Amino acid sequence: MNQHHEVTLNVNGREHTVSVPPRKLLVDCLREDLRLTGTHVGCEQGVCGACTIIMNGQNVRSCLMFAVQADGANIETIESLASGPDDLHVVQQAFVDCHGLQCGFCTPGMVLAAKSFLEQNPSPTDDEIREAIAGNICRCTGYTFIVDAIRTAAERMAGEEAGQHV
Amino acid sequence: MSETRTETQAATQQPKLLGARVTRVEDPRFLTGNGRYVDDIALPGMLHVAFVRSTMAHADITGVNVDAAASHPGVHAVVTGAEMASQAKPITCDSLVPTWQATEYPALAHERVRFVGEAVAAVVADDRYIAEDASELVRVEYSAREPVASVEAAIREGAPRLHDGWEDNFFVKRHFTGGDVEGAMAEADGVLELDLVSHRHSGIPLECRGCIADYNRGDNTLTLWTSTQIPHLVRTGLADVLEMPENSIRVIAPEVGGGYGIKGHLFPEEIAVAVLARKLGRAVKWIEDRREHLLACIHAREHHHRLQVAYKQDGTVTGIKALLYVDCGAYSVYPWTSTMDTGMALGILPGPYRIRNYECEAYSVTTNKCPLGPYRGVARPAACFSIERAMDEVAHAVGLDPFEVRRRNLVRDDEFPYESVTGLIYDSGSFHEALEKVCRDGDLEGMRRLQEEARAEGRYLGIGFSCYTEQTAHTTNEFIKRGVPIIFGYDTAIVRMDPSGTVLVHVSTHSHGQGHETTYAQVVADQLGIPLESVKIAFGDTATTPYGHGTFASRSAVLAGGASLRAAQKVREMLVRFAAEHLEADPGDIELAQGKAFVRGSASRGVEIADLARWAYHRPEKLPDGMEPVLEAVSSYDADPGTGTFANAAHLVLVEVDPETGGVKLLRYAVTEDCGRMINPLIVDGQVHGGVAQGIGGALLEEFVYDENGQLLTTTFLDYLMPGATDIPKIEVTHLETLSPFTLEGIKGMGEGGAIGPGPAVASAVADALSPFGHVFVNELPLTPERVRKFVQQATGNAV
Repeated sequence: MNQHHEVTLNVNGREHTVSVPPRKLLVDCLREDLRLTGTHVGCEQGVCGACTIIMNGQNVRSCLMFAVQADGANIETIESLASGPDDLHVVQQAFVDCHGLQCGFCTPGMVLAAKSFLEQNPSPTDDEIREAIAGNICRCTGYTFIVDAIRTAAERMAGEEAGQHV
Repeated sequence: MSETRTETQAATQQPKLLGARVTRVEDPRFLTGNGRYVDDIALPGMLHVAFVRSTMAHADITGVNVDAAASHPGVHAVVTGAEMASQAKPITCDSLVPTWQATEYPALAHERVRFVGEAVAAVVADDRYIAEDASELVRVEYSAREPVASVEAAIREGAPRLHDGWEDNFFVKRHFTGGDVEGAMAEADGVLELDLVSHRHSGIPLECRGCIADYNRGDNTLTLWTSTQIPHLVRTGLADVLEMPENSIRVIAPEVGGGYGIKGHLFPEEIAVAVLARKLGRAVKWIEDRREHLLACIHAREHHHRLQVAYKQDGTVTGIKALLYVDCGAYSVYPWTSTMDTGMALGILPGPYRIRNYECEAYSVTTNKCPLGPYRGVARPAACFSIERAMDEVAHAVGLDPFEVRRRNLVRDDEFPYESVTGLIYDSGSFHEALEKVCRDGDLEGMRRLQEEARAEGRYLGIGFSCYTEQTAHTTNEFIKRGVPIIFGYDTAIVRMDPSGTVLVHVSTHSHGQGHETTYAQVVADQLGIPLESVKIAFGDTATTPYGHGTFASRSAVLAGGASLRAAQKVREMLVRFAAEHLEADPGDIELAQGKAFVRGSASRGVEIADLARWAYHRPEKLPDGMEPVLEAVSSYDADPGTGTFANAAHLVLVEVDPETGGVKLLRYAVTEDCGRMINPLIVDGQVHGGVAQGIGGALLEEFVYDENGQLLTTTFLDYLMPGATDIPKIEVTHLETLSPFTLEGIKGMGEGGAIGPGPAVASAVADALSPFGHVFVNELPLTPERVRKFVQQATGNAV
C-alpha cells in the first residue's frame, strides 16, 4: 500500500512528476505535492463540488480519483485562470462585480464549473445556469448572485466575441 | 465664479462610502485560489492527527488498547482520555441561572462516552492516511448504558441520568410570567393548542473544522491556527483548560470557510491538538472530515414547542402560554452554555406582535446526542415558526386573511421604543411597512392570480408569509440578563495611519464571508478623507489584534464597525489638529477629503494627508505642542444601552406542492428587510440571500436523524441534504431603513435574519397549497416529502 508510483501530471501548462502511494487522492496530490491549495476539500464524497478541477477538458471531482489514475492527464486548477488580482478571468471579474462569493471556500470549484459550462453553452438561461452548478454547494450566497455573475460573464464574453468579429 | 465654487466643493468633499454599493476588496484572493485556510498551511515537520470516536451513544469505557496502533509504522503517539485528563481540564461553561446543572466536556472522553462521535483517543502520525490506518487499530471496550436519544426519553419518569449528581436531565429550567395569562385565557373567544417541532440540523460550513498547533519549548509558547469565528475567546478558553499563561498562547484564525455560528466555539479537538503539540514538541495538524463534522461538531435548532394561544374574534392574540423543550445534546458548550436556545426562544417568542399576557416554561434537555450550539438565528427560527404558525391558525379560526391578522397584532410605528412583555426593548422598526412592502414588491396579487390559474389546472400553489424582529448587536445588559459567564459586550478596533498615509485597522472580530474588509474600510475611509484603497482591515491573529469577542449574533457591523468609526474619529482629530497648525487655521474649519486636509471653502489652502502622516512620524518638530508623534487610536464600542437593536423583515413565498410525491418547489421568494442604515447594500443583499437559503434548507431538506439508540443515520451529504442552486429560487430583496436610536449611524445587525423567516413562510405556503384538500396545521420542519404526504392525508381527513 505504501509503495510509491511515479505519476506525471500536466497541471496548468506545466509538467510535474510526483511519487505517490497508489491510494493518494488526486486532490491531496494537487494540494500537498504540488502545493496548489486553491482546490478545496469539502466532503470527500463527490457531493459538494469544492474540489472541482478541469481534467482533459472535463469537470472532474478531484476527491473521487486517485492521483495514479490521472497519470498523463492535462489538468487545469483555479490557479491557471489569472496571474494576479489585476488580471482576472471574465468569470472571476463577474463574480466580483455581482458579489458572487462570501467565505470563498466553494468559489474555486464554482468558478471552474461556470467557466467550463460557459464554454459549452455561451448563452444560457438562468435555469440552465442553475442546472450547471447544481453539483456545487454554496452555503453562503443562496446562489442568487452566483447566477447573476455567470449570466454577466456570458454577456461579457458574447460582447467580446462580437467585438472581435467587427 | 460658479464654476470655481463647484471645483472647490468637489475638491473638499468626498462622496460618502458609507451606504455605497461597493464591490468587495477581499474577493480577488478567493477567486484566484489564494485564500489561505487552515488546511493550506504546512509547517516544517508537521504531523497529522486522526481521532478515534465513540461508536456508542452512552457507555462506560472499560478499556482502551493502543498497542497495535502505537507500534504501527509512522505513528508518533497515541493518546487516550486518561492521559489527556492529566494534561487538560475539561471544557466547562456554566450558566449563572439558579437551576443550572453543569457538565464537563473532556478533550478526549475519559471513563464514559455520551454521544456517538465523541473523541476517545487521538493518533498522531506522519500523514493523515497513516493516522487513520492506525486509528482503526485502537481497541476501545465499552460497557453499554441505556441511551437517552430524545427529549421524550430524557424527561420520562425514571430516565437514566447522563451526568452524575444531576437531579433530572435538564441543564436549565426557566419560567417566565408577564401580564395576566389566566385572565386572557378566560376572556378569550377561543384558545388554540398547538404542538410544533423544528428538527435538528446545522450550519454545515463547506470548510470543515481544522487546526494546527505548534509548541515552542524554548519559550513555552503555543500557537494555534484554527478555523474559528472567535479567536480571542478560544485563546482564553485554552489558557484556562491548559492552565497556561494567556500571554503564552497565540490563536490565529486564517480564512474561515463559513461559520454561521457553528465555528463560534472552543472545541475538544482544539485542546487535544494543542496538548499533542506540547507533548511532541512538533507542529500537529487536524483537519476534520465531513463524517466527523456531521457526527461531532455542533448541531442546532432542535425545538419542541407546545403553545396555548388565546384570541379574540377580531383576530387579536391576547395571551400565550408556551412550553418549550430544546434538545441540547450531551454537553454544555463554551462560551455559550446550553441555555442560549431556551433563553432566546422564551424572550422572543411573542415576536413583532403586541402580546401582553405571556407565560413560558422552557427546558434545556440533555440527551446522548451531539452538543447543540448557536447557528444563524439561534432559537428565533423555531420561535418565529411557532408564533407565525399561530397567527395563521388564528386567521383560520376567525376566518380572516393571515395578512390582516398580522396587521392587527403587529406593534405599530408609534409604539417604538416598545418594551415587549419579556422586557426586550424594540428600539425602532417598520413591522407594518415591511409586511405591506413585501406584498407589493413581491407581487402578492400576481401570486394570487397564478395560484388561481394553477388550481384551475389541478396544480397546488400556496402563498406564505412570515414576519419577525431580530435582536442584533446585543451587548452587556442583555448578556447579564441571560446569566452567561462571559458577557459578550464590546468589540474593539485599532486604527493606525502609517508614515505613508495608508491605514491599517486591526479589529477583534473575524470576517468569514461578511465582507468586513470592505465595510469597515468604508467607515474608516469616510472619517479620514482617504480612498478606500488606502485602508486595510486585519483580523484573526490574537497577537496583533485587540481583545474582543468575535463575529456572531449579527453584531460585527454595529460593534466592530462602531469601534472602527470611533478609533478613526480619534485619528481624524489628530490629523485635523496637525493640519490646523500647519495651515494656520482653526481646527473647526479643517475638512479631510480626497487625501487632503483643507480649510473649509478654500481648496487652495490644503495639505496632503500623506505629508501630515510622514511628518507625524519623521518630522516631530512640526507637530503642535503637546501632540504625540503616532497616528494611532484604539476604541472599544458597546452599543448603549446594551439591549441590542432590533432589525425586522417580512418574507413572502410562493410554492408548488405535488400532493402525490410530497415534493415542494419554491417558485418565488421575496424579502423586505430593515436593518437601519446600510453600510453596503450589496453585502446586505448577499447576507439576506445566504440566510434565506439556509432557512430554506431547514424548511425543506436538512435534518439530523438519530435512531432510538442514539446512532446518527445522516453522516454523509447523501443523507444530510442541503439546497443546491436548483432548490433555491431567485431571492428578491428590498429594503427599508429605520435607523436605530441606540447605535452609531443608526446601523442594525442583520447577518442572521434571512435564516429566521423561511421556515414559517414555507410551512404557511404548504398549508395554503393543500387547502383545497382541507385545512391542515403544518407543524413540523423540515417538510420532507414523507411529512408533506402526511399533511396531505391529514388535510384530506380533516375535510371529511
